[in-house]
Amino acid sequence: MIRLMLTTALAALPFAASAQEITVGAANMAPYLDPGRDHSNVGSQFYYNSFDTLIDRDHTKLEPEWTPALATSWELIEPKVMELKLREGVTFHNGDPMTADDVVFSLNRMFQATFPPYVVRAKDRLGNFTGAEKVDDTTIRIHAEREEPLWETLISLQQIMIIPEAYTKALTGDPDVAEDSDFEAFALAPVGTGPYAIESFQPGEKLVWTRFDDFWGDKAPLEKVNVVQIAETASRVTALKTGEADIITNLAPDQLSLVESDPNLKTEGSATALFHVMIMNQNHPKLQDPRIRQAMSLAIDRDALNEALWAGKAVVPSSHTMVEMGALHQPDLVTFEYDPERAKQLLDEAGYDGFEITYDTAPTYYTNGLLAAQAIMEMWAAVGINGKVQVQDQWSGNDPEMMARNWSNPMYFADPFGSFGVMWAPGGPSQSEGRFNTDEDYAEKWERFRFSTDVETRKEAYAELMEEVKEDPAVLPLYRPFESWGMKTSVNWAPLPGHIPYVLDFRAGSISLADS
Amino acid sequence: MTTFADPIPAKRRSRSDAIQKAAIAIAVVLFAAALLAPLIVPYDPLAQSLLSRLRPPLGFERYAPLHLAGTDELGRDVLSRALYGLRLTLALAVAGAVIGLLIGGTLGLIAGLRRGWVEDTIMALVDMQIAIPFTLVALLILSLMGSSLTVLVLVLGIAGWEQYARIVRAEVRKLSALPFLEAARTAGAGPLYTARRHILPNLVSPLVVQFTLALSNIVILESTLSFLGLGVQPPQPSLGSMVGLGRDYMPTAPWIVLTPAALIVALTFSVQTLGDWLRDRADVRLRDR
Amino acid sequence: MIAYLARVLVRSVVTLFAIVSVTFIATRLSGNPIDTFLGEGLTTEGREELIRYFQLDRTLWEQYLAFLRGVVSGEFGLSFVDRRPVTQVVAERLWPSGQLLLCAVALTIAVSIPLGVLGAIFRKSWIGSAVMTVAFAGYAVPSFILAILMILTFSYWLNWLPVVGNATPLHYIMPTIAMSGVLVAALTRFTRNAMLDVLGQDFIRTARAKGLSEARVVLRHGLGNAGVTVISVIGLQIAGLAAAGSVVVETIFSWPGIGQLLVTSAITRDYPVLQFGVIAVAVAVVAINALTDIAYALADPRIRLARS
Repeated sequence: MIRLMLTTALAALPFAASAQEITVGAANMAPYLDPGRDHSNVGSQFYYNSFDTLIDRDHTKLEPEWTPALATSWELIEPKVMELKLREGVTFHNGDPMTADDVVFSLNRMFQATFPPYVVRAKDRLGNFTGAEKVDDTTIRIHAEREEPLWETLISLQQIMIIPEAYTKALTGDPDVAEDSDFEAFALAPVGTGPYAIESFQPGEKLVWTRFDDFWGDKAPLEKVNVVQIAETASRVTALKTGEADIITNLAPDQLSLVESDPNLKTEGSATALFHVMIMNQNHPKLQDPRIRQAMSLAIDRDALNEALWAGKAVVPSSHTMVEMGALHQPDLVTFEYDPERAKQLLDEAGYDGFEITYDTAPTYYTNGLLAAQAIMEMWAAVGINGKVQVQDQWSGNDPEMMARNWSNPMYFADPFGSFGVMWAPGGPSQSEGRFNTDEDYAEKWERFRFSTDVETRKEAYAELMEEVKEDPAVLPLYRPFESWGMKTSVNWAPLPGHIPYVLDFRAGSISLADS
Repeated sequence: MTTFADPIPAKRRSRSDAIQKAAIAIAVVLFAAALLAPLIVPYDPLAQSLLSRLRPPLGFERYAPLHLAGTDELGRDVLSRALYGLRLTLALAVAGAVIGLLIGGTLGLIAGLRRGWVEDTIMALVDMQIAIPFTLVALLILSLMGSSLTVLVLVLGIAGWEQYARIVRAEVRKLSALPFLEAARTAGAGPLYTARRHILPNLVSPLVVQFTLALSNIVILESTLSFLGLGVQPPQPSLGSMVGLGRDYMPTAPWIVLTPAALIVALTFSVQTLGDWLRDRADVRLRDR
Repeated sequence: MIAYLARVLVRSVVTLFAIVSVTFIATRLSGNPIDTFLGEGLTTEGREELIRYFQLDRTLWEQYLAFLRGVVSGEFGLSFVDRRPVTQVVAERLWPSGQLLLCAVALTIAVSIPLGVLGAIFRKSWIGSAVMTVAFAGYAVPSFILAILMILTFSYWLNWLPVVGNATPLHYIMPTIAMSGVLVAALTRFTRNAMLDVLGQDFIRTARAKGLSEARVVLRHGLGNAGVTVISVIGLQIAGLAAAGSVVVETIFSWPGIGQLLVTSAITRDYPVLQFGVIAVAVAVVAINALTDIAYALADPRIRLARS
């Protein structure tokens, strides 16, 4: 009773913030927290609350609208050089003030990476940047190798969020040298400049955020956030119902009604900026004839999958494109279709003799992944393809024996390059894993798409790339899964359209708790 | 699985005969259902119907006619899957128990006939197997090797071999001490002949009892492994994997889990009772002799 | 006696060495972590870089020697996944598992010994049959089914009990019951039979003839003597349970214990964690077994003589 009175009294005071704490039941907790080396769907949930980029965007808007973050202004002083003015008075969670050196260190840990996990991550998206340099205490410059059409987009990537130099270097060994072990240690005791400091982090289990009072921007609306891993879907729902959790992540479509039927609970969801895809191995001896892969693709009734497994809430694309890509969004392209008759005909022409085609899937990783796999086998069977699901945790995308499997292709940043581009570039991961081929023709189209500064040229080149994908398919985007979060009705939170998938944005303006 | 050796041989059990008879009847029905599954199930256990997913069993609201036990997350018939699952579970358990019998029986026979270091080594293996928590070993083997039916059957096979080995060795040693074997040996009978002619017939009854008891342990092991996703792989149904994969739907569609769960319990309970009953009878015979 | 102790010790060490080596080789032969949790979408060079970084490019033999050197010097390495010392990763998990184990053993003893005694005393009446039927049925219900049924009832339908982790005492209820189920059944049967065995012996008849009360006869003389065997059996079972019984229960209830850790690390091929976890569990199992052996030998000279 006394507590109730106290809370009421506090709430009545206009400027006093009441202690607000929530618990999030997450399907997955990251094994480490380092925005640089991570690009997983698990990790991306957590970085935005604790780290800042130089340039941010208005995440309430679908169209990119760049906003100052740790940089207050930026301009291209030469076609390949950007100069950025740094915000003053920014403090890291450990109390160190942010300096130009910290920024240069953070950028170059990726641009000129030596730590292997950074090297791997930097190559596929930041390859065009050669380095960053300090001009004076509040000015830095970033150099690109070639003219870059996506400056702001790439400078706002999670991978180059800013971390403290001295703190990181001093974590292990020589305090003046950035050793690999420093970065390893950083991932367990991460420090950033964001509105929430990471108070404690237990890999794979638990993360506790507390409000960071010296944050440079609007103070965090929550005092404390506990994120606890609850792997089982049904357990997460129960945790929400029993009050153990205030928000739960990754609510499967089949569970929505269960949460919504409870008057104290609600759900928020959106079709995530990510495709669940089927990949096919162009180089498998039995699948070299593109007609067979076309048939595998044409046989799949993605709308039926959507209706049955996602209650019709997922989005089935006609091409590898998303509305988030703004000017580059091309919904009129028809790259992927359902046409079982054509599939049968192609199989006939290709002389398909009924050999078994395997489809690999992990047991639980993708929501509905195993169900979709089994349903796809039925659809294949309907056109005469003898399919078989293989359940395994192993990543088989680099296995020459792999015929087809599921995967996800997230939008790492709002551009076709940030989605299709990261995975299917010439020499990119799909090609170097040996299941996708590109030729000079493809590379030429790719060059035009990646580096043209003219939007129309880029669109045209992308359409040509899609045509290649259609003719000799290695991938079929199934749908944008509809991801839902369950929460108490007193929590005002919803995923924002301007974020990459799965971000739990608890910054000022993104979440509030109604007084209950 | 946990097994206890009773300190005294089970004598006349006080449990009422009615329960025993009922349990044995259930065992018979379950075995028959498993054998005849392809003839009696109403649906193909793999046939999906995406438009009638998650329908409850007969008699509940929204039930789909003819799907007596409801449908699962892909619109497959739960009853048909459960019966096919029962069939697969039993087939695996029998295969596992036979492998265990062959391995354990052979090693036990060798240990009993050949004394010295051979016996020491075999009995050390038996001790080791008893000391090692086998469920954990099975889990590790399957998660490392990947779970194919072959690996699964082998794992189930080595799950209980040491019990057979102990029984056979003990029996062989007991019999070897008997005068008639001594006589046979002096008459020039080789060890193989002795084993086939004089020892095997005496082993039948204890081995049948052990086989039945092992069967229910293996059913539990297989169900547990499949439940954890390390045993039988989808879309192939096994009772354990139906429970494991149906877990996510428990709050909304508990029938997916309850039907196979009930079958597992019925199966283990009735097979155990059957084993117990056989043991009682074997004991009676041994006493009467 | 010393010879016997030495023998137990040598056997334990040999067993441990065998277990560790087999684990090491089995893990290496079964794929690598780059293909499980790190593998998606790497370029060939990236993949090779990571393999070098994790020192997986060395031959099996080199890796094995390095590993043995580590074991000798107490360096067990870093987890591949979260890059913490594996000793820390495993240590964090041991206590929650231990707590659950202790709870399960306590519950088992508290329930099954009285039940077993009742079953023995009233073996001819319906009470005895009821006890034995329950014990028998309990033996037939696998722990995962018991767990699932409890979750369904107490969590999903009634919303009474939490299902995830070990935060409060309430969290312990269902995992403890699920873990004890089979043990209760088994130990009840065992206690009953041990009691029947003891109660049939001469000294009990003597005690009764001396005019001692029936309760005293049963509890003091009966249970007192049967207890020795019962407790040695519990000791043996703890070893098995410490490692195995908990995997399933820990997985279902997301219990942050060692069993769950072992399975996860096996699936992700996090060798250092798996190896050290197996060592930790194996040490526990071997130690408990050895202790039980020794205790048994101390209690019963016949065994000591027979074995040495």
